[in-house]
Amino acid sequence: MLAQQLLNGVVVGSVYGLFALGFTLLFGVNHIMNMAHGAVFMWGAFAGLFAVTMFDLPFAAALVIGAVAGGLLSVVLDWVAFRPLRKRNAPEFSAIVSSIGANLILLSLAQQMTATRVMRFPFDTFPIRFYEILGVRVQLLQLVIMAVVILTVVGLVWYLQRTNAGRQIRAVAYSEGTSRLLGINPFSINFQVFFLSGALAGVAGVLIGLVFNSVHFMMGEPLLLRAFVVIILGGLGSIPGALIAGLLIGIVQVLTVSYLSAGMADVVVFSLLFLVLLARPTGLFGSASGGAARVARQ
Amino acid sequence: MSFFAGYGPLAELALLNMVLAFSQYIVLRAGVFSLGSAAFAAVGAYAAAILATRYGVPPALCMVIALVAGGFFGAIVAVPLARLRGVFQALATLALVQIVLSLALNWTSLTDGALGINSIPKAVHITEAAIAVVVVAYFLHVIGMSGIGRGFDIIREDETVAVSLGYDVRKHHMIAFVLSGAIAGLGGAMHAFSSYSITPNEFGFHMVVMLLAMVVLGGRVSIFGPIVGALILTGLPELLRGFQDYRSIMQGALLMLSITFLPRGIVDTVLGRLRHRSLSRGASAKDRDGVTI
Repeated sequence: MLAQQLLNGVVVGSVYGLFALGFTLLFGVNHIMNMAHGAVFMWGAFAGLFAVTMFDLPFAAALVIGAVAGGLLSVVLDWVAFRPLRKRNAPEFSAIVSSIGANLILLSLAQQMTATRVMRFPFDTFPIRFYEILGVRVQLLQLVIMAVVILTVVGLVWYLQRTNAGRQIRAVAYSEGTSRLLGINPFSINFQVFFLSGALAGVAGVLIGLVFNSVHFMMGEPLLLRAFVVIILGGLGSIPGALIAGLLIGIVQVLTVSYLSAGMADVVVFSLLFLVLLARPTGLFGSASGGAARVARQ
Repeated sequence: MSFFAGYGPLAELALLNMVLAFSQYIVLRAGVFSLGSAAFAAVGAYAAAILATRYGVPPALCMVIALVAGGFFGAIVAVPLARLRGVFQALATLALVQIVLSLALNWTSLTDGALGINSIPKAVHITEAAIAVVVVAYFLHVIGMSGIGRGFDIIREDETVAVSLGYDVRKHHMIAFVLSGAIAGLGGAMHAFSSYSITPNEFGFHMVVMLLAMVVLGGRVSIFGPIVGALILTGLPELLRGFQDYRSIMQGALLMLSITFLPRGIVDTVLGRLRHRSLSRGASAKDRDGVTI
């Protein structure tokens, strides 16, 4: 029983990690708290769903379409909501307010379009098959999700660490002014970072839509709130932190639901956030320099 | 007279929203990025509603208790929250809203869960709401003119300068949280006594966004900022009743446009222009150069 629950927690948690990864990437590079990240996730899931229901595309294509849709939406978001503020050198407060506004717009557009319905992937989108591994029932879907998450993360890390573009992104994250002096085009960096962040959210959207088999306009909100906990726990801007904390939150949530009650899950998860902020505001894995600069030096 | 009869409930709602907007205003004025007003309002509303419906406490006393409860809750959470800044403060207060919301939903023996609390006596009408707005606004105005208000302004503009001038940032943040909690507690209680029933979901993310939008649109320095913001955002949906489906879209667009093009809000921008004009006129008359404020 416990092993089964742990497995479920790891699967859900890895998708949380994927979602939080895009969020933390944006914060690490651009210092933007994108409150509309949940809406991007939801639209990614919509795109994947429509690819399956309207065009009869297979699961893999739905993932790609979800990723591309999320990425493009995220880039548009940058142009509309963040770039005008960046030009004015506005404080981070402005970016949060602006993205809350964008979130509201994207949510109610989705609500109107779907007439507040809960949509589902068709029954045959993904073959339902079970395996017994060490006495634990594992669904094929769960294995595939783990594989997708691992592949995506490996791809992202490879892109950031091994390619020229990734080196530029890391340079901008380290110091935007200096990297501009070195001839790095901030326009292209912003495009890449927003696209990557949105694409991660889109993939996570399709996966979550499949796991819970429900796609609706509010699906991003609980995930965004979870992502806050994940990134604070993992340290703002830290990629391994986001993944480990995502797994942790997934496990904690599943265990709370199965051993306490479903309603308590939120209380436990958000109290965790509170405790971490109290004890170690830079997160369990965050570097002292990144986030700590924003925390009061008393 | 029929005009007032028709728009009475709307005016009452606008006044009640102003009280809640004051709670968001005072933290933003102090440079505290708190989104916790909805949580404080929930504490006040539930305290008042439970006392009134189960123990028969008179409404006026309930509201006083709600005010104290909100302030007390604000003081407790301020201890950890005043250590944080910016994004961290915003996230922590959002988590607070979520915790209070989950408790209100799941602590059914106390709160009746998702059903909410019903048949609360109607004790708040337009007069009571107006009195509350005037009293709170006057109180905040007095605080704003005092040393505390100056501290708030300096901390908001530049914390380093404030520290170098000897202002205790943490103390001011805590004061802001207590004030925000007390005002929201009162606002929540008045909301409960005005609308007959309360449910947990009223105090969720929607309220956070609404209050933030009011203060951002109106302005967060002058006391008239939240008043104007609450008036516009309560009245606008009514004026555009035909476009009811697009209400959230409009609210979101307003939020984005005002933070992009009017970052200081309507009232503060207008006041700033007027002040600038009178200053430059005075300067040219007396030919004082080099004096810029």
